[in-house]
Amino acid sequence: MQLEYFHMIDRIVDLKVDEKTIVVEALVPKESTVFEGHFPGYPLMPGVLLIESMAQASGFLLLGVLKFERMPILAAVKEAKVRGSVFPGDLMTLEASVAHEGSGYAMTEAKIRVGGKLRANSALTFTLIPFPNADMRGYMTKVAERVGFPLQAVSP
Amino acid sequence: MSTTFDQVATIIAETCDIPRDTITPDSHAIDDLGIDSLDFLDIAFAIDKQFGIKLPLEKWTQEVNDGKATTEQYFVLKNLCARIDELVAAKGASA
Repeated sequence: MQLEYFHMIDRIVDLKVDEKTIVVEALVPKESTVFEGHFPGYPLMPGVLLIESMAQASGFLLLGVLKFERMPILAAVKEAKVRGSVFPGDLMTLEASVAHEGSGYAMTEAKIRVGGKLRANSALTFTLIPFPNADMRGYMTKVAERVGFPLQAVSP
Repeated sequence: MSTTFDQVATIIAETCDIPRDTITPDSHAIDDLGIDSLDFLDIAFAIDKQFGIKLPLEKWTQEVNDGKATTEQYFVLKNLCARIDELVAAKGASA
């Protein structure tokens, strides 16, 4: 996890395209400039970055379901609850599932657990757009490779 | 049994907090009711769920952008409801 680069996901643990579910892991760094301000003497993950983490987990799931042919873009956070704090050094396990796949949009539900305990959950809406250019598609392919996304398994 | 229009109008009223009595079959979802594309996703989601269909929003948007259709054909509520009825009928025929 590199907070400054919005690399929120470290590794895909399990991607079930047919069941439309994913499990990923993300290790919160022990040090980051983010924690210098949030907060001095009491560093903890900003809630907005927990939402971003759940959005990225959902995004990898949708990339799999859509066979990497569309790019999911976060459009709405329908609900988000931060049920407990996440601290530097915590290993987050994120689960996401597709609640509805519409025409050009999708809705997901995602959760974050640390040590098995629920720390946050959200209901998210994504628009599904064609990759706007080759650069973005190439970048997403590199990101997918970094987190162990099974590109071969979802090739159209 | 409520009509398709009644169900769609209720969905719009509840989703977008629009007074139910201002929604008529001749209302244009965008021009008259002021529903934007993001709010329409919520309406599409509710319609998809309630009627067991998948509104082809991408296809409709493409047709409008290409000048092959007008927004009135899809977003005036009586026309939207007619499309929903067609999709429900097509689903029933293929089941």
